[in-house]
Amino acid sequence: MAANPSQPWRLVMVQAEDRSGILQRVTNCLARRGFQLFSCTVGQGPTDGLLTLWLRVGTGPQPVDQVTKQLAKLIDVVSVEDMTARAPVQWTTALVEIRRSGDEHDLEAALNHPGVQVVRHLESSVLAAIGGPPEQVEEILARIRRLPVIDWVVGRPLALGEHRAVASAAPSNQVMSGS
Amino acid sequence: MSATALLGFEDRPVEPARASRCGAEILLQALEAEGVEVIFGLPGGANLPIYQHLPSSPIRHILVRHEQGAAHMADGYARTSGRVGVCLATSGPGALNLVTGLATAHFDSVPVVAITGQVATATIGTDAFQESDVIGSTMSVTKHSYQVQDARDLYAVVREAFQVARTGRPGAVLIDVPKDVQQQVVEGDSAEITRLRPHREPPPPAPELLDRAAQWLAGAHRPVILAGRGVAISRAEAALLELAQQIDAPVGTTLLGTGVFPADHPLALGLVGFMGTGYCNLAVSNCDSLLMVGMRADDRVTCRLDQFAPRARHIIHVNIDPAELGKTVAADCQIAADATWTIRALAGRVPPRRHPRWRAQIRAWRDRHPLRYPNNGKLQPQEVLAACYARRHPSDVVVADVGLNQIWAATAWTGDRAGTFLNSGGAGTMGFALPAALGAQAAAPDRRVWAICGEGGFVMTLQELATAVEARLPVKVVILNNGQLGMVRQFQDDFYGGIRSAVAHSVVPDFRLLASAFGCFSATVTCSGELDDALGSALEHPGPALVECRIDPEAGVYPIVPFGKGLAGFVECPVG
Repeated sequence: MAANPSQPWRLVMVQAEDRSGILQRVTNCLARRGFQLFSCTVGQGPTDGLLTLWLRVGTGPQPVDQVTKQLAKLIDVVSVEDMTARAPVQWTTALVEIRRSGDEHDLEAALNHPGVQVVRHLESSVLAAIGGPPEQVEEILARIRRLPVIDWVVGRPLALGEHRAVASAAPSNQVMSGS
Repeated sequence: MSATALLGFEDRPVEPARASRCGAEILLQALEAEGVEVIFGLPGGANLPIYQHLPSSPIRHILVRHEQGAAHMADGYARTSGRVGVCLATSGPGALNLVTGLATAHFDSVPVVAITGQVATATIGTDAFQESDVIGSTMSVTKHSYQVQDARDLYAVVREAFQVARTGRPGAVLIDVPKDVQQQVVEGDSAEITRLRPHREPPPPAPELLDRAAQWLAGAHRPVILAGRGVAISRAEAALLELAQQIDAPVGTTLLGTGVFPADHPLALGLVGFMGTGYCNLAVSNCDSLLMVGMRADDRVTCRLDQFAPRARHIIHVNIDPAELGKTVAADCQIAADATWTIRALAGRVPPRRHPRWRAQIRAWRDRHPLRYPNNGKLQPQEVLAACYARRHPSDVVVADVGLNQIWAATAWTGDRAGTFLNSGGAGTMGFALPAALGAQAAAPDRRVWAICGEGGFVMTLQELATAVEARLPVKVVILNNGQLGMVRQFQDDFYGGIRSAVAHSVVPDFRLLASAFGCFSATVTCSGELDDALGSALEHPGPALVECRIDPEAGVYPIVPFGKGLAGFVECPVG
């Protein structure tokens, strides 16, 4: 389901053991607790045997820290961090195939951007790769949309936060602010 | 760095080498190493290799009549013994029949390990005969689950499963073992090395946090403590009593916390919440400091959340599960820690206090809002329970089912020992009492175990009477028969326009004949004058016994908080 722009969301980084069913456990946990998963990027981190999952999670009526607290309870999860406020670097990639329509001017203009690389010229179409921050990729795709697009695929953003020590899966004890 | 090193896996020898063993033998050996005394199970095609080797094991096996019963028995065993309960089922429907029982245990933080047979690894995913995705089906009702692909992993998986089940906030864990893995022969000592993931403890609470909480309790003029099952799990009853007396704080309990504070203590408030005592709910609604310990604060406790403890200047919430803190009640001080440790830490920081005005106020509320029931000449459930409890030894275990009988049994409770009153408080599983009582009896053969049921819940798992007789588990079943689904009927009367829909049991079995058919002692009570003889005979009988009590069909639970109201908005028994 597409993200509802008006719904609040969190960007959560999960480190988990690379075990069978871990994605099912994570997505089941979020669904069961009423959180909507907008996007999920899974990658291999620098530690052998550990996966890094970047989750963009829509929050509902539940307190937002329930996202991280519930994920942290999963036995295979090693650490959970809410990266929403940490301004992580995000990078999106897309592949697009555009039909040649005779006049190459519009095509060249649309693809003339440092974030776009033409990877294959075919007789009747052009295949291009797009990379950059999500908003930049969205902007390029908006321009390309005016062309005779045959197909495209847009990846969910990869992200990397500022370097920090791996946090414990167990949240710390706290006093509510203002008390 | 490898994940193994990062996570601190321990590689350690655990068993002397043997030439060869199959997966089923390794599984049983691991269970024995965990000190398992009894397994509640039912054989089927996909767990037969385990049953082939079970007779060679010192572990007692109790054959159930339905897998749901096995899970509830493991649950009752665990609640009574304080150890991990174990149930065993075959694949497909056998495994899926465990789900309700696992949910019941998991909701109530009970350590249960379920072992399920599975079709052979090569046929997983082919919709083979009696194949089910038990891992997927149980994901939301277990703390963790494993599907073992290689017999060499079995020993480690079993040991880790027990560790997961009993540490931190306890819960249910499932191990799914394909049939070929049970039969796989492991040569040499390849099964002797186990890799255990260490339990991750939350960091201890900061001293400032405890100081703050203690300061609030010391400065309170109208303190209240609410205690839940976490107090029993942590064995914190003595510490709780000491703290309550030290700071002169009245103590209410959740349904699952029944028994963690002596019912006859002057500071006891009884049950809190939806069907709690009026004086407890008024105390919570008027306190200025609230300490909630070892409890979740679910909707049955808080009722209308924005009216929960509205006059409390400070709410302190202690739970070993960090995710329970702030989930419903936004407590000012949230402490993720063990109940005993925290209560003792607080007691060491708070000076003795006395609150004579607050205590007098609560006494006045108690006098004004006592527990009442009608006096209409019909047999009342409270009369039955009073007669049962009068015959109860302090060490007896009472297991309530779910529905009106559960609340009647909890509000009438007179005991002073944690772990002697069991019920399905979180999941609210009808049919829980009989099988859970059998599990409790297996855990405590020298203690008397009672099951208090309504007739609606009893018939959901009554086949386990056969297990009771066969396994010589002499539980005493008391059925409060009102001929209907009483709690639903009361909700329909009180909150759904008085339209009674699908609640009357026009066909109710003759329980006396039914019990006799299974070989149990049985008796029927129709008026209070018959209680003595029937209960006396049932208790004297050496085997399982069933006493059916035909109670007032209109009896309800009061006080009750109407849906959408705060705790202080409770309604009392219309007939005083």
